[in-house]
Amino acid sequence: MKSEVGRKDKQQFEFETEYAATLREYALGGGEAVLGRAYELGRRAIAERKSLLELVSLHHESLTELFHNSVDRRSQTHLIRASCDFLSECVSPYEMAQRGFQDAVRALRQLNETLEEEIKRIAYSVHDEAGQLLVAVHLALANVAQGLPQEQRAPIAQIEDLLNEVEKHLRRYSHELRPTILDDLGWIPAVRFLAEGISKRANLPIHIEAKVSERLPGTVETALYRVVQEALTNTVKHAKAKNVWIRAWIKDQVLHCSIRDDGAGFDAQAVQSSTGRKGLGLIAMRERLSAIGGNLWIESSQRRGTELQIRLPMEGDHVNSSRARG
Amino acid sequence: MSRVEIRVTISSDQDIVLARQKGRSLALELGFSSGDATLIATAISELARNIVSYAGSGQIALKDLQGSSRVGISVTASDNGPGIPNINQALRDGFSTSGSLGLGLPGVRRLMDEFEIDSKPGQGTKVVVKKWRP
Repeated sequence: MKSEVGRKDKQQFEFETEYAATLREYALGGGEAVLGRAYELGRRAIAERKSLLELVSLHHESLTELFHNSVDRRSQTHLIRASCDFLSECVSPYEMAQRGFQDAVRALRQLNETLEEEIKRIAYSVHDEAGQLLVAVHLALANVAQGLPQEQRAPIAQIEDLLNEVEKHLRRYSHELRPTILDDLGWIPAVRFLAEGISKRANLPIHIEAKVSERLPGTVETALYRVVQEALTNTVKHAKAKNVWIRAWIKDQVLHCSIRDDGAGFDAQAVQSSTGRKGLGLIAMRERLSAIGGNLWIESSQRRGTELQIRLPMEGDHVNSSRARG
Repeated sequence: MSRVEIRVTISSDQDIVLARQKGRSLALELGFSSGDATLIATAISELARNIVSYAGSGQIALKDLQGSSRVGISVTASDNGPGIPNINQALRDGFSTSGSLGLGLPGVRRLMDEFEIDSKPGQGTKVVVKKWRP
């Protein structure tokens, strides 16, 4: 670990030294060849995961030093102009990368919408199409039963009971996938319905206290529901919690929702800063909320459980009226 | 109709510098802002880098574009290297190391207004990009 830190420091030091030297060379009339190297420095900075702010502050330091060493006003003016060209060159790879990220964010939002459509379709298939098939099976069984003497019908009745059970589960899953309650009654009743199911299946008490009756636009309610759903799924999967509390309220035109558990907790910072798959669920939740203008806070510590806090400013178009729903 | 055509043979880092310089000054001559000229130099760098790393040598050709109502610049990068077996893959962000950082060919495509690529295994690669003056 120590040598890793040492290597990083050394790399950082080398980068800083090279940056300062290259800037100096350009200011002394280096021309395009040196600008090309400025560009390569920018590329390297991205590969070494330096933030843009780090780069700008490094630039500023290097420039300040050169400025103090300048002999007269004229060379200072020249230095400032040259350093500006140098910096734009150096950050141009960031521009390229940033456009890529913008595209990725757009694609992610689009993907969320597509997924939502897909989920609707699956929920419909499970509920309606599978439901109709089950009805057909019931009828076929009834036919079989009719041809049997009374004393041999018991196993058929047993199968019918099982089929009823299957139907009940399918209906439940379909509603949890895409609750019709979400469209009809809103995200809070949908969350209640979801929590009830999870609570039973996972044997986990979920306490809900919601003081929000306003309806929000469809996309906003869907996003809130999905985030709570993801949070509950995570809790069941990882937290080993004994209780979950969901609270929702509105204060000063801001919608708050907190999902807290008394489970094992995790190192929130490490998970969020990790680049692997680990923090992806959290990133997706955050992204989902930011698409509707909200944000997410996570507090978690080992032994004290986890709390997710959603905050969503209720600006004009978010507030009230079921008319706003499309 | 174009009035200028500049060709730069690319086989080393020095050639990349020359192509950047020619591209930048043509862009400024055509009235692009210095910010846009920097981005055009950036695109040239990425294209020329690809030539040097994958084909060894090739050419960058720079042209002005004189449309009826607009002015632009076109950059053509061509080589006789091994070609790209799967173009779609090469244009995907996650495919190469530079691509996963948003650089490389996917990055060039985002910096410019038009992007065309033609490549067959064993027959080299040709990339044409254009940018119009806003």
